[in-house]
Amino acid sequence: MIATLLLLCAAALIAVPHVLVRTERLRRSPRAALILWQALSLSAVLCLLGAGPIAWLRPRPLPPLPGGVVTALATIASLGVLIHLLVRAHDVDSRIRRAREEHRQLVDLVGRHEGEHTRVLRSEQVAAYCVPGARSRLVITDALTALPADQLAAVVAHEEAHLRERHDLVLEFFTVLHTATPRFLRTDAALTEVALLIEIIADRAAWREVGEVSLARAILSLAEAAGEEVPTGISAGAGAAATRIRLLLGDEPAPWQTLALYLFCVAAPATPPVLSVLVAG
Amino acid sequence: MPKNAILGDLEQAIMDVLWTDGGALTVREVLDRLTARDLAYTTVMTVLSRLETKGVTTRERDGRAWRYRAAATRESMTAQAMRGPLDDLSGEDRQAAILHFLSEASADDLDAVRVAMAEVEAKGDRPRRRR
Repeated sequence: MIATLLLLCAAALIAVPHVLVRTERLRRSPRAALILWQALSLSAVLCLLGAGPIAWLRPRPLPPLPGGVVTALATIASLGVLIHLLVRAHDVDSRIRRAREEHRQLVDLVGRHEGEHTRVLRSEQVAAYCVPGARSRLVITDALTALPADQLAAVVAHEEAHLRERHDLVLEFFTVLHTATPRFLRTDAALTEVALLIEIIADRAAWREVGEVSLARAILSLAEAAGEEVPTGISAGAGAAATRIRLLLGDEPAPWQTLALYLFCVAAPATPPVLSVLVAG
Repeated sequence: MPKNAILGDLEQAIMDVLWTDGGALTVREVLDRLTARDLAYTTVMTVLSRLETKGVTTRERDGRAWRYRAAATRESMTAQAMRGPLDDLSGEDRQAAILHFLSEASADDLDAVRVAMAEVEAKGDRPRRRR
C-alpha cells in the first residue's frame, strides 16, 4: 500500500520539472529555486529507493494484486534505481574528470599564466570559461582582456563565483539524475533551466561587485562575440543572454516567496520518510 | 603543488621554444634556447618525454638523439581550447565539464539582448543591496 503510494509520489515528482521549467518567478530567487530543484529530485529518488524496503517491512495484500507481487515489484524498482544511479554517477564523474584534466593541461600549455589559476588564450575572439575541479582554471582570451575594465571585472567575478561556490558539483548532480532518467520521462529543458539558474547566481555575484550596467554590457559583448562564431555545444539555452539581462531589471522577489521556496525545499525530501513512518506506524 | 606549478611553467616554456622554432629540436637545442634558466639536461629530457606521452609533441630519430617537435601549432591547440572538450563527451557531460560565460547567441537573441540592454542603461545602476 505505502510502497504503491511512494511509487505514485515518485511519478508525480518526476512530472514536476515539466511544470517548473521556465517559471519566470522562480528565476528571481535563483538560489532558492536551485535548492528546490535539488530537493525535488532528491525526494523522487528517496521515494523510489524507499518503495522496496517498505514493501518488505509492511506487506499488505492489495485487492487486485497478491502482496508478494507488489513486494517483488517494489524491491526490483528500488534496487534497480540504486544500482542504476550509482553506475551513472561513476560514469559521468569519471568522464567529466578526465575531460577536465585533459583540458586543464591544454590551457596550461597554450595559455599565458596570469597568477595561480588564470590562463589567457591568444585569440581574437571574446570568450571566457572556467574548468572547475580541485585544480581549477579560469580561462579568458586576449580579446576579452581588451574589453573595458568594468566588463572584464564583471566576467571575472562571474567565473570566480562559479569556482568558489562549486557550481560544477550542482550541475554534475543534475547531469547524473538527468542521464539516469529514462529518455521518455526526462526533459532536456530541466537541465537547461538548472544551468541557467547557476548562471543567474554567478551573475548576482558579479552584479554585487560591478553593478548591473557593467554586467549587462559584458553579457552583450560576449553575446555579440558568440553570435559570430558557429555555436558549439549546448549552452544555458537560446535567449539566455537576453533572459539574464532582463533579470537584472526586475525587482527582488518578495521575502515570502523566497521563504516559501525554502519551506518547500525542506518539505520535499522529508515527505517520503514521514509518509512511510506515519502510514506504517 | 609548488613542484607541479614549476613543472607546468617549464612545460609551457618548452612548448614555446618548439612553437617559436617550428622545427624538430634535440634536447640540447631546447635547453640552449631556454633563456635565463638554470636547468639540468635530464630535467628537459624528462619534460619533453612527458609532453610526448601527453601527445602534444612528436619525436623522430636523428642518429643517436631524438628530435622533438610540437604535435600541432599553437593556433590549432588554442582553437581546441576554445572549443572545450567536445570530442568524446555527450552534450550534457560537456555542459557540466566546463562552464562557459555564454556560449551561443542567434541573431534574434542578439536583438532581444540589445533591447534588454537599452532598458538596463536607461534605468542605470541601483544602489547595491546585500543579498
